[in-house]
Amino acid sequence: MISVPAARRSTSPVSPGPAATVSGDGDQLALQGALEIATITAAGKVLTKWSKQGHPRSLDIAGLDSLDTPGALFLCGLRDKGVKLTGVKAGHAVLLELIGGLDLKPLPKVEAVARWRQIVIQIGKGAHDARHEALDIITFLGRAASWTVNSLLHPACLRPAAISRHIAETGIHALPIIGLMAVMIAIVIGYQGVAQLRPYGGEDFTINLVAVSVLREMGVLITAIMVAGRSGSAFTAEIGVMKTREEVDALQVMGIEPMQVLVVPRVIALVITLPLLTFFADIMGLIGGAAISQFLLDVSPMQYLNRLPQVVDGSDLFVGLFKAPIFAFFIAVTGCMHGLRVSGSAESVGRETTRAVVKSIFLVLVLDAFFSILFERLGV
Amino acid sequence: MTARAKAHAEPILTARGIVNRFGKQVVHDRLSLEIMRGEIIGIAGGSGSGKSVLLKTLVGLHLPSAGEVLLNGKAVQSISAAEKAALIGVLFQQGALFSSLSVAQNIMLPMREHTTLAAVQQEQVAAMKLALAGLPADSGIKFPAALSGGMVKRAAFARALALDPKILFLDEPTSDLDPIAASGIDALIRQLNESLGITVVIVTHDLTTLFTVCGRIAVLVDRKVTVDTADKLLQSDHPWIHEFFHGPRAEGAMKARKKSHGN
Repeated sequence: MISVPAARRSTSPVSPGPAATVSGDGDQLALQGALEIATITAAGKVLTKWSKQGHPRSLDIAGLDSLDTPGALFLCGLRDKGVKLTGVKAGHAVLLELIGGLDLKPLPKVEAVARWRQIVIQIGKGAHDARHEALDIITFLGRAASWTVNSLLHPACLRPAAISRHIAETGIHALPIIGLMAVMIAIVIGYQGVAQLRPYGGEDFTINLVAVSVLREMGVLITAIMVAGRSGSAFTAEIGVMKTREEVDALQVMGIEPMQVLVVPRVIALVITLPLLTFFADIMGLIGGAAISQFLLDVSPMQYLNRLPQVVDGSDLFVGLFKAPIFAFFIAVTGCMHGLRVSGSAESVGRETTRAVVKSIFLVLVLDAFFSILFERLGV
Repeated sequence: MTARAKAHAEPILTARGIVNRFGKQVVHDRLSLEIMRGEIIGIAGGSGSGKSVLLKTLVGLHLPSAGEVLLNGKAVQSISAAEKAALIGVLFQQGALFSSLSVAQNIMLPMREHTTLAAVQQEQVAAMKLALAGLPADSGIKFPAALSGGMVKRAAFARALALDPKILFLDEPTSDLDPIAASGIDALIRQLNESLGITVVIVTHDLTTLFTVCGRIAVLVDRKVTVDTADKLLQSDHPWIHEFFHGPRAEGAMKARKKSHGN
């Protein structure tokens, strides 16, 4: 007599119902208890071994109290191997008939592709996608620019309500975090400057270092990256969700151009907001510089304020602020483009949002490098 | 043998004094419902009458403001996760198939989690469930995104049946389907109920499903539930129930009912 306990795992036991018990010996066995998904593993092992012995055999299942579909599948399998089932109850017969009558085929296997071929395929796909991606960006940039200019030339087409809402969302709500980040970055640069310049007795130049790097680079860069993560992603998600709910199609059917109502207000709002945010970040960065000067160099805020005009001039501020609207245009357009590229499912919203953020930060840094070279050549 | 004749008098699920309140809005007011072992019961009601909330309450996804739900004699909130998985299966309205898994992996997920079946056996059982739900074996390797609406429902059916539940809850099983696919689902529900003895709870607006598949119908009106057979409900003099079962859309469904009962 072989007793098989209800299968259970320590973490998640299936209801410990009655076990399936195999009794008898030789060619005739009897099965009692419950042959269910929880009890089938062990009972199955015993019976499979027994059924392989070759002679005509029979299994009495009159004592079986309950049977579920995996159990019936197993019994049908035994029957196909030549085991005779006896004492089948009426209810179980229906189930056996149903399961036995199904046209069962094994699940097909997914064709495995060789590793080296996968790599080749990946490279090819990557190159193909990159080409299309580049074309898409250029086309979309052109369309967005043309629609924006067109709207500015015909101010009646502008949507002031939408623009002001986006200015509030991308600008005003971002003030605290951007201010905080600007102060932090000034502190980081200040500490590094003091540590590196002190051996040469030039720690006073830390003031120059902080002020110039915040005004020319850090203020605008930190702001642009923050806005790309905060607002660029929001643009993609908002437009993407509209796309999945066919709201964009509804606009087109009504003869309203999605570029006009979805993209242009966002682009204009961000182009207005980002320079303002950058200016705010510059001020906060200089305040951070003042704090550093007080603590590390014993330069009072008043002295610091007096020194500032000597170390920076208008061109430093201008270089930073000049880049802001250009970054803003690219961030907004990338965000909107990926929003409009969302197709169907909700998971594509997530995928496109990630892409939009990665791409806009990448574009911001590439443009910044380009401007650095340009301004160096121009001597600004 | 019809579902009605097979239904035992013993309830498998009892809901007592269910109150569901959202802010000031009362959706269910001391609602009570008994679902008998082996029956097919339909839950009908207007849009916003709280059908889906009731379904979520019955399966324990939503904790009612008051009242209790007993599943197999035990409070639904106190049943362990594994036991609940073996007891109930739910077909969600959109299928809720996991999009990152193939159909077969979707069906095998609860088995992998709650049973000790070997991988080979899991695959055999998954293939059997697919066949039970009326899907060809090669749909097992497809991903949900590649399936049509009717196939999504069938695949979700197969997954709901993965652990051979005692009660199957179906949320709008025939919505978004063409009439042929919808009739196929109706037939599938009947077949599963008759051959496996599963208790089936269907939340639906589909009058054809209500008339041809369900033994009893629970109508949600006035924050309460009226449960009866279709024949009795047809004679109800409650204005909303009368409108529901005698409106222009009900006539085609009535014909289908006569036809299915004539067989």
